[in-house]
Amino acid sequence: MIGLVLVVGLPLLAALVGAAMTDRVRVALVAVGGAAITWIVTVVVAVPRLGEAAPVGGSWGHAWGNLTAPALSFALRADSMSAALLLLAATVALLVQIYSVAYLAEDERYRAYAAIVSLFAASMAAVVVADDLFVLLIGWEMMGVCSYLLIAHYSERADARDGAAKAFLMTRTADIGLLIAIIVLGQATDSYRISDILDATAAGKLSSTTITVTALLILLAAVGKSAQVPLHTWLPDAMPGPAPVSALIHSATMVAAGVYLVARMHPLFAESRTATIAVGLIAVVTMLIAAAFALAQDDLKRVLAWSTVSQLAYMFAALSVGSVVAAISHLIAHGAFKALLFLAAGAVAQAVGSTAFADMGGLRRAMPWTFWTTTLGLAALVGLVPLSGFFTKDAIIGAAYDAGQSGVGPAPVWLDQLIVAAALVTAALTAAYATRAWLLVFAGERRGSAEAYEAPALMRWPMVALTVATVFLGVAVLEPGWLGGAEAEPVHAWIAVTSTVILVVVAGLTWLLGRTGDPATRLGPLRPVLAREFGIDAAYDRIAVRPTVRAADLVLRTDSDVVDAYVRGASSGAMTASRLLRWAQNHNVQTYVTVAVLGVALAAVLAGVSAG
Amino acid sequence: MSTVEVLFWLLSVLAIGSGVLVVTTDHLVHAALWLVVTLGSLAGCYLLLTAEFVAWVQVLIYVGAVVVLLLFALMLTRAPTGADSATSTRNRPVALVAGVATTAVLGVLLVDGFRGERIDVSDEPHGAAQPLGDAIFRHWVLGFEVVSVVLLTALVGAIVLSRRSPDEPVEESATARSGPPEGSG
Amino acid sequence: MPLVWPLLLSSALFGIGVYGVLARRNAVLALMGVELMLNAANLNLVAFDVWFRDVLVSGQVFTLFIIALAAAEIGLGLAIVLRLFRTYGHIDVDRLGGDPPPPAGGSEIPRNAGASWDLPTVKEREPQ
Repeated sequence: MIGLVLVVGLPLLAALVGAAMTDRVRVALVAVGGAAITWIVTVVVAVPRLGEAAPVGGSWGHAWGNLTAPALSFALRADSMSAALLLLAATVALLVQIYSVAYLAEDERYRAYAAIVSLFAASMAAVVVADDLFVLLIGWEMMGVCSYLLIAHYSERADARDGAAKAFLMTRTADIGLLIAIIVLGQATDSYRISDILDATAAGKLSSTTITVTALLILLAAVGKSAQVPLHTWLPDAMPGPAPVSALIHSATMVAAGVYLVARMHPLFAESRTATIAVGLIAVVTMLIAAAFALAQDDLKRVLAWSTVSQLAYMFAALSVGSVVAAISHLIAHGAFKALLFLAAGAVAQAVGSTAFADMGGLRRAMPWTFWTTTLGLAALVGLVPLSGFFTKDAIIGAAYDAGQSGVGPAPVWLDQLIVAAALVTAALTAAYATRAWLLVFAGERRGSAEAYEAPALMRWPMVALTVATVFLGVAVLEPGWLGGAEAEPVHAWIAVTSTVILVVVAGLTWLLGRTGDPATRLGPLRPVLAREFGIDAAYDRIAVRPTVRAADLVLRTDSDVVDAYVRGASSGAMTASRLLRWAQNHNVQTYVTVAVLGVALAAVLAGVSAG
Repeated sequence: MSTVEVLFWLLSVLAIGSGVLVVTTDHLVHAALWLVVTLGSLAGCYLLLTAEFVAWVQVLIYVGAVVVLLLFALMLTRAPTGADSATSTRNRPVALVAGVATTAVLGVLLVDGFRGERIDVSDEPHGAAQPLGDAIFRHWVLGFEVVSVVLLTALVGAIVLSRRSPDEPVEESATARSGPPEGSG
Repeated sequence: MPLVWPLLLSSALFGIGVYGVLARRNAVLALMGVELMLNAANLNLVAFDVWFRDVLVSGQVFTLFIIALAAAEIGLGLAIVLRLFRTYGHIDVDRLGGDPPPPAGGSEIPRNAGASWDLPTVKEREPQ
């Protein structure tokens, strides 16, 4: 328990201390040092928990119980899934802090940035080890806040500000689902603790309606946080943030929290066929269209963003067929190579001055380290043997295939088969866009005018570390049951062969097309449609954003015209009354005499009337 | 109707008409002159009511002194001799209401109280000088003396008020609302 | 003649006089309205006296007193009007009142000379 508290509390402390420092060197020391100490503590705490070890945890604060029913408590718990995610988060956070020292070397807002990144690390740890749903919710929302602040780091850019607001609003709206689900589950099981809720589910104490409704609500929050259809439009617009932020938050940790949430609450989903089908269909649609969109983009980071969305959909697909192990394995592997790719994108962006493909090209010779690390990262992304991506993608497709063959598992057979097909098609699309990106950045003639140079050492070594992880994680996930799941056949031969063939064919085709310019131009009329991302964003703007803005305008105008009218009316009423009363003292004799004469006449009439 | 009544009607019309002109005309000096007509016709009414002494005193004092004093005042305050553009204030409608209300109240009251009464003017006149003088100096002599003192006070007060203070400039300031007197004066 | 006729004539003149007092802009014209009102009262008194055939002739005696008082009053009133004209430069009853304009050609004495809160000018400060 102490270890878990430290894992959450140390980055928080680092954030507070770092925010108080004034000297840039000290800020960097606190940030990197804090991340390093956290990493050591995480290793000490998490490594023993991997595999078959029993979960460990504890809680404080049952005394708060009398304020609410059911009781709230600060409860933490770490099992093997949490341990794996803790290691991923702590490692990537440390590497990102090191990288940021060089990436933001001339940035004036480095102190705020480092503190918020540390705060984010604390929130992610809180989400991952939380046993009380409200602790999880707090960590969840804190991650959203940190994401908002960090996307808008370059706050003088309008697209950064807009992207931050969009990300925050979309995920925050989706989080209503989580809040309602927590309340419903709390009422139904009389406890907010995840362990109690999952026990109750296993014992069959919850009605099927409750299970389905809460599962769908949790799915809503996960869909928002992980940028799946229909809430997928915020992630590419979050790319104006600094590259290390994209690496940490928008590929490895925060967007993976949605997957973690569904994985943690998986027993709920397993009991509800409706929720499982929902997860599966969302995953299928998302993985296909995201990969298609990635083909048509002109900006390197946007390609990586759509790639992230597509890979997250893979993880959701694995969850829907019932294989938590496959999903989490892919999450870990994806975290490593996607973070690597984003850091590399940052290095390229810093070298050529922008993230648009039009400014890149022919960087192979100018940036050798970046070239080799990126190549290995992209190879992991497309699933080239023997890198980690190969094994984890194979695990997912294999799990779906097995579930389809045997009929075991929460998803219906047709969904299993649909997932297999969609996954293979997406693998092809992934190969295409990854090869295209590789060609446009590193091959061909140098476009653009800036002088490209290799990244400084502090940026290179984290990239190298992640590349090593990418290469060797593949071997690590071969170890069956490292996540405490059942033993499963690690590699299906026919899937391995098929996916490798698809990969080679598509990559080769793309390379051939790339010899005569941008391969995406061969898409023809399809390209603008994909580049516009089917116009979904514009539709959201018309359906949701503009009416909200107009309603806000209406409220504003109501306040100023209707409510304020009373306030102004009070003042003008007072002015009018004072103007009328002023006549009694307007030093005009005729006014006084007029009033006297009229008064006397009135008095005479009244006297006459009352006497007669 | 008898002669007296006819004459009284005519004089009433004259009095009311010239009274209205006094209070509505734009020429300030004409207003004073219409006031003369009004006061004169009232003197005629007194005569018809057989109050001879009052009638002649009215002509003497009012027409002879008061109106002359008013004309002097108009002259000393540089009133324009032609038409003045703004002789009535914004108070006009309310003043009209007040005037009509006053007339109505008084009229209704008096008519209600004295509806059928008649003045008998065919007998000997009631306001001859000798019985009037008798009444003043015998029964009303105290009031007569008090009025004399009031007249003295008014005389002294008028002199005091219209004296110039030592450091006051002799030339009056030219900030009067009216412009220089017009040639038709 | 019916008593009511002179009474009505006096009511009408009184109302006209009230209008004149309340609606005229020039102070002298307002005083003319006052004269009309006084005359209306005089007519009323005379009419009642003749109708009643009072032994003491009180109505007509009062009328004479009122005429005398009216003369006194108009003298004083016009003296006041003259004073106003000398102070303000006009006798427009709508504009009368407030501070009178300063006398033209008077000495230019600054209004707050010698006030205790006046700050001393530079040359009046103590030498360093």
